[in-house]
Amino acid sequence: MKKNQINTIVILIVVLIIDLIAAREFIKMRYPEALSPASGLTEVRPLSCYNPYLKGGHGDTDIYIFDSGKPGASVLLLGGTHPNEPAGFLTAVLLVENVQVSAGRLFIIPRACQSGFSCTDPFEAYPQFYHVETNSGERRFRFGSRVSNPLDQWPDPLVYCHHPSGQKLSGFETRNLNRSFPGRKNGSFTERVAYGIVELIRQEKITLAFDLHEAAPEIPIINAIVYHEKCEDLALMVVMNLEMKNLEYAPELSPKNFHGLSHREWGDYTNVQPFLMETSNPIQGRLRGKTNEALVRFGKSRRYQEAQESGALRIAYQADTGESLERRIGRHLQGFKEILAVYNETAAEDTRFVFSGLPDYHELIQNTLTPYLK
Amino acid sequence: MQKKISIIALICLLISVNLHSGPTYQAPVLITSAGQSADVKLVGMLVKKAGIEHAVELAATEKSLAGKKTLIIVPGFSSKGLGAAGVSAQDEMNRVKALLAAAKEKNIPVILVHVGGSARRYGQSDQFIQEVGQYAKAMIVVEQGNEDKYFSKLSSEKHIPLMLVPKIAAAGEPLAQLFK
Repeated sequence: MKKNQINTIVILIVVLIIDLIAAREFIKMRYPEALSPASGLTEVRPLSCYNPYLKGGHGDTDIYIFDSGKPGASVLLLGGTHPNEPAGFLTAVLLVENVQVSAGRLFIIPRACQSGFSCTDPFEAYPQFYHVETNSGERRFRFGSRVSNPLDQWPDPLVYCHHPSGQKLSGFETRNLNRSFPGRKNGSFTERVAYGIVELIRQEKITLAFDLHEAAPEIPIINAIVYHEKCEDLALMVVMNLEMKNLEYAPELSPKNFHGLSHREWGDYTNVQPFLMETSNPIQGRLRGKTNEALVRFGKSRRYQEAQESGALRIAYQADTGESLERRIGRHLQGFKEILAVYNETAAEDTRFVFSGLPDYHELIQNTLTPYLK
Repeated sequence: MQKKISIIALICLLISVNLHSGPTYQAPVLITSAGQSADVKLVGMLVKKAGIEHAVELAATEKSLAGKKTLIIVPGFSSKGLGAAGVSAQDEMNRVKALLAAAKEKNIPVILVHVGGSARRYGQSDQFIQEVGQYAKAMIVVEQGNEDKYFSKLSSEKHIPLMLVPKIAAAGEPLAQLFK
């Protein structure tokens, strides 16, 4: 054999080995993490129950249902609409593993965009996983992509035309679940997921629905409660009450002319009162510096501290503690609890939603996540 | 004679006290935003709770001033709010400037109420605050928004009375006092 033939074979073998290692790493992200639901769980139902076009596919995510068996409001909580926003997903997981419902029903979808958990966004250097200490050992969670995996929906159009508004966005947004509502029964992969969620809201007569998110510390809509105009009084009262507990949230009215988002379309197409909450997540920001698991877990970024101290722009960043997962999940939990508390104040007794078993913001900061994730 | 003079002086004093103890600000009030943040709705709730006759208009113009005796402006920039209103930041600034000029022409006093804390400060929010500050006769501000003493300096420079409150809900009391 000639020397260059031997070289070629060696190179091919090396490349194959590298490919196999890389493929194994990619495939690791396809396996969902196991959850340990609290004792009040009554059913796990696939989303395809609300859209048969999802059946058996990567969009057919699980809905964890806690039915108290007593009259009360039905509530929906979504985590993982954007799988690269860990606090949204982990808040939902914490609820699944701790909540006790004593009146009404709770539907939790921890991985709303299940497909997006199976990959990360290109060019962002995000870690594939992050770990959290629990009383039963270390748990590993996936840090996913903002949008559906391109293996599930490809190619992206040049321009994404939202159904049914006709709004035009960058083609990339066609895989963004939070630009796809109200969805289409047999539309694109992501539209089918969106449709399934809206059908769940309709069929189960959901009263209040929550969509949990995170965003870069430098963007304007941060540490906020975004609400549909039909629940304005409730949202504003919640903002004032949370401020009394030293938690500042900016109230943001959902713009009527920005389509595809949960807080707009859920409110327009169903009777639900929708709320979207945002917390500050440094790993999503442009100023973040080193992008690693520690940044996901503890949210400490010297660059953000410097940016905040410079005063050049408004940065939602807690310099002394960082934006830890506890702080971000704690804010989501407190917002969730306060919205339901204010709702219950004026609801008839048989339309209230009564629950327990969840820590509040200060308990989570003090105790960390360890005792609350099984 | 001295007794008569004393009685007349006392009556004059009582009349002058009465004249000067009338409300500084009067209803009905127009409440609007400068920057389209939802904070204007929070202030609307506080004014309603204080029992002051009012109207809330997110994008009030000169026409909205008809029949109003006081203008409350709630500065705070919100990109979502601007998007919802379908206007640019410059359009919003032009509207606010025109409204303030009209209020000045009609002798309608302006109260600046800032409840958004640090979330509604810096950048474009400060531009709106600065504009409203040129016309404001009084300011009520949640303390978190004044951590850098921005409003304190504005108050000092423009000689505008400044009332600082610890929380949004606490802003209701000084508001009510202004209209008593």
